[in-house]
Amino acid sequence: MDLYEVFTGSRLDVITEEVLSGDEEHQEEVKEDEVNRDLPTKEAFVVVSEKAETRTFQRFSTDTNDSLRFEAYVPSSDEEGTPSPDSSVDGHDDVFEEHKKSENKVNNIRTKLEEKVVEMENFAGHLEEIFLTVEDNFGRQEQHLEQHYNDVLQTLSQRYDERAAALGEEKKRRLEALYTQLLGCGRTLDASKDLIETAQELYRTEDKRLFLQAVMPTMKRIEEFAKEKPDLTLVTTLEFDRPLANLSDVKTMMDSINIVPAPSAPVINPQVSNSATPTSLRVCWSLFSDDSVEYYELYYRPVLEDTPAADSTKGPDVSNVKVKETHCSVGDLLPNAQYELWVTATNTTGISPASEKAVYMTVPSPPFIRQRECSSCPEAALIRWESRNTNPVDSYTVELIETGTDGQSGVTESIVAVPTCESLIQLQSGRQYLIYVRAVNIGGPSERSEAFTVSTTGTIFHLQQDTAHPCLSISEDGFSMFYGDEELPLSAMTFDDNTFARCVAVLGDLIPVRGRHYWEVEVEEDTEYRIGVAYEDTQRNSYLGGTNTSWCMRHVLTPSRHKYEFLHSGWSPDIRITVNPVRIGLSLNYERGILSFFNVDLEQHLHTFYCSFLHYVHPCFALDNPGALTVRNGVAAPDDLDQGFPNSEYHNTARLT
Amino acid sequence: MALAQVSSNKCSGGYQKVFEHDSTELKCKMKVAVYLPPKAENEKCPVFYWLSGLTCTEQNFITKAGSQQAASEHGIIIVAPDTSPRGCNIEGEDESWDFGTGAGFYVNATQEPWKTNYCMYTYVTEELPRLINANFPTDPEKMSISGHSMGGHGALICALKNPGKYKAVSAFAPICNPIQCAWGQKAFSGYLGEDKKTWEAYDATVLAASYSGPQLDILIDQGRDDQFLSASQLLPDNLIAACSEKKIPVVFRLQPGYDHSYFFIYSFITDHIKHHAKFLNA
Repeated sequence: MDLYEVFTGSRLDVITEEVLSGDEEHQEEVKEDEVNRDLPTKEAFVVVSEKAETRTFQRFSTDTNDSLRFEAYVPSSDEEGTPSPDSSVDGHDDVFEEHKKSENKVNNIRTKLEEKVVEMENFAGHLEEIFLTVEDNFGRQEQHLEQHYNDVLQTLSQRYDERAAALGEEKKRRLEALYTQLLGCGRTLDASKDLIETAQELYRTEDKRLFLQAVMPTMKRIEEFAKEKPDLTLVTTLEFDRPLANLSDVKTMMDSINIVPAPSAPVINPQVSNSATPTSLRVCWSLFSDDSVEYYELYYRPVLEDTPAADSTKGPDVSNVKVKETHCSVGDLLPNAQYELWVTATNTTGISPASEKAVYMTVPSPPFIRQRECSSCPEAALIRWESRNTNPVDSYTVELIETGTDGQSGVTESIVAVPTCESLIQLQSGRQYLIYVRAVNIGGPSERSEAFTVSTTGTIFHLQQDTAHPCLSISEDGFSMFYGDEELPLSAMTFDDNTFARCVAVLGDLIPVRGRHYWEVEVEEDTEYRIGVAYEDTQRNSYLGGTNTSWCMRHVLTPSRHKYEFLHSGWSPDIRITVNPVRIGLSLNYERGILSFFNVDLEQHLHTFYCSFLHYVHPCFALDNPGALTVRNGVAAPDDLDQGFPNSEYHNTARLT
Repeated sequence: MALAQVSSNKCSGGYQKVFEHDSTELKCKMKVAVYLPPKAENEKCPVFYWLSGLTCTEQNFITKAGSQQAASEHGIIIVAPDTSPRGCNIEGEDESWDFGTGAGFYVNATQEPWKTNYCMYTYVTEELPRLINANFPTDPEKMSISGHSMGGHGALICALKNPGKYKAVSAFAPICNPIQCAWGQKAFSGYLGEDKKTWEAYDATVLAASYSGPQLDILIDQGRDDQFLSASQLLPDNLIAACSEKKIPVVFRLQPGYDHSYFFIYSFITDHIKHHAKFLNA
């Protein structure tokens, strides 16, 4: 089927918002123009590359008519697949280059053609829908007409029956009356006849005595009978009463056939992506019939989870808006909420049936980044946030901008379609970034969340408060811990599966990236501590370093001296340190499977564990006796860290005593 | 000062050479082993001085310790001199294995008949560096010192007596407190006489207690199964106590199962060279 004929033959119009002004005289002419403008030209169909917003189907896109235009793909001359003649003259080497070039060109053309195929399919889809709608609407018109005339016929038929029945009744009545009269007359006649015969018989009687006996009563009877005046008037009139048939209602019905019918139901469009805001929706609809419309009425109500959407008797109130155009912006809505919308068209005759109900969704509220649960290292950052929307959203978009040293912002990079409330982002070391998160649903993306600054210097993590032993209190900023002097009674302590129960310890939330990490711990000379790393699932009722799931440096203060242990699986090498470190640097290198400890103030290497970490580890900290410990984060590892520690295999401490 | 090459073997991409020269301090011919890493072909390299222990020559370290690989990787020249003057024909020099030949104790002897030749301290700290710097592509500012047993003692005292001269120092099973152990007492009384005051100048523990100079970072490895440790010849606890007192940074590692032999040195020499490299290549 030639598309052109479809378009011209049925005079299909897309009523654009500019056209529908409710002015019916104009419509015909303007429609004409629209038709001409919109029709594809008679020559080759040309595909227009659609803008991103109108890509998903706008079958009734009222804003643009892009979907109704179709341009074929014509490869331009500079994309010729064959190599230009002059280059092939050169030697053998160029052939391969040319071959490669043509391969690339062929690939390019192929990709473009594939895109055009998709566009073509979309276009065909549009046409199909329009075709169906037209069929539908005309079907409705036919039905309406049939109905109308049927009604008229029925009414007439009814009237006829009534009149005929009345007529029949009348006839019967009159005939009966006359018949009765006739019978009456007959009876009178009979009576007269009877008397006459009696009188005659009497006259013929020879017996004079009998005659005299009977003659007087008989004569009396005859006299009486003669006195009776027979009623000779006709019971019924001879005139024929012809009542006027009251066909006025039939007349109105016939008249109404000529009146403009009420419009058919409009068709409400599905929601366009990115057309909503957190508090408003932009709704569009179309009318695919010849009906004239004075105005539209848009109805909407929120979709609540517990009320079935189909039930219009209960549930929230319906709001409505009257508009003349085929689109409307509805405001004052809740974010990330679903609304049911439908629209009716009204003209002088009446109101159309309601359109199908469409469900639209407003854009969500922006998420909230949980700063205390974010961590970073020189190569990456782990951002966690919460939705702050009661309904689930479709996905999240993470945006990051590198900020230069002068505060200038660079290009915004976006990571889209993040399914959960966390994202591990690859970054470059030694930079600063601003990170934002947006929540996305069918309505579009929300506003940006508050910014979160990430500095890719050193490793940054926070303490996992829910692992802390009850006797360990964490400071406000979350980087210092205290083991107080007061003896807490056992009853006052609340333990759960995640808290350390014996060792007064806490874990840090290290970013799960298998790179190099470095952090420092500050203590007093006499603080008795255990610091190192442990697997997430290290037993909470064990002591750090006592199992094969943790590695730590331990400082013990004896009456005579300071003792340092480097514990794993309960075993430590025998190491003496002459200067007590108060600032200890810990360097973790997943690739090489090492954990090293340094006296930062002296740049002195203390010890290195050699262990291949099977899982990600977390920094762990414990205080064996009342004291305090502070974690220093975001510190760049000293440059010479690599050379500082020995690489001997003989330092393997994975031995049980 | 002429250096005569005695041998040269390619090793770990570089060359393990042995030279002989006439020592002005020791007044005899001395051999010295020098390892030149690949880097030395094009650039100046730092120098790591290794002092061997009792009964050793310049050969033990270069054949048993396995130091060449690490030296090659870090681009460090390793110089390993002999442990005492040789062929001086001093009476009694070969009587015991822990005094005289092969037991120079890295002191400058003041007593006869040793004082003419047995000036190992000056040899190691003065003559040898001059010789090496004149003949090899060295960075004269970048020197470090290490040793085993008696050589450990030598390394410690050279570093403590010359603040700032050596950029790094480490030791394997050193004799930490010679004036308190049999070995030291025997050697010092022979080389230095009976005045114990003169001994203190060559005792690492004593020197540590009065050290003042640039910060050191001393690495000491000691085998736990070392017979001489249990024989109270080494006395590391004394040194540790003195260093703790004086806040001289030391990391002392007691290695279980290891003895006094070169197998022990072999096991941890890479760690030590890395420790030195941190300062030499800084």
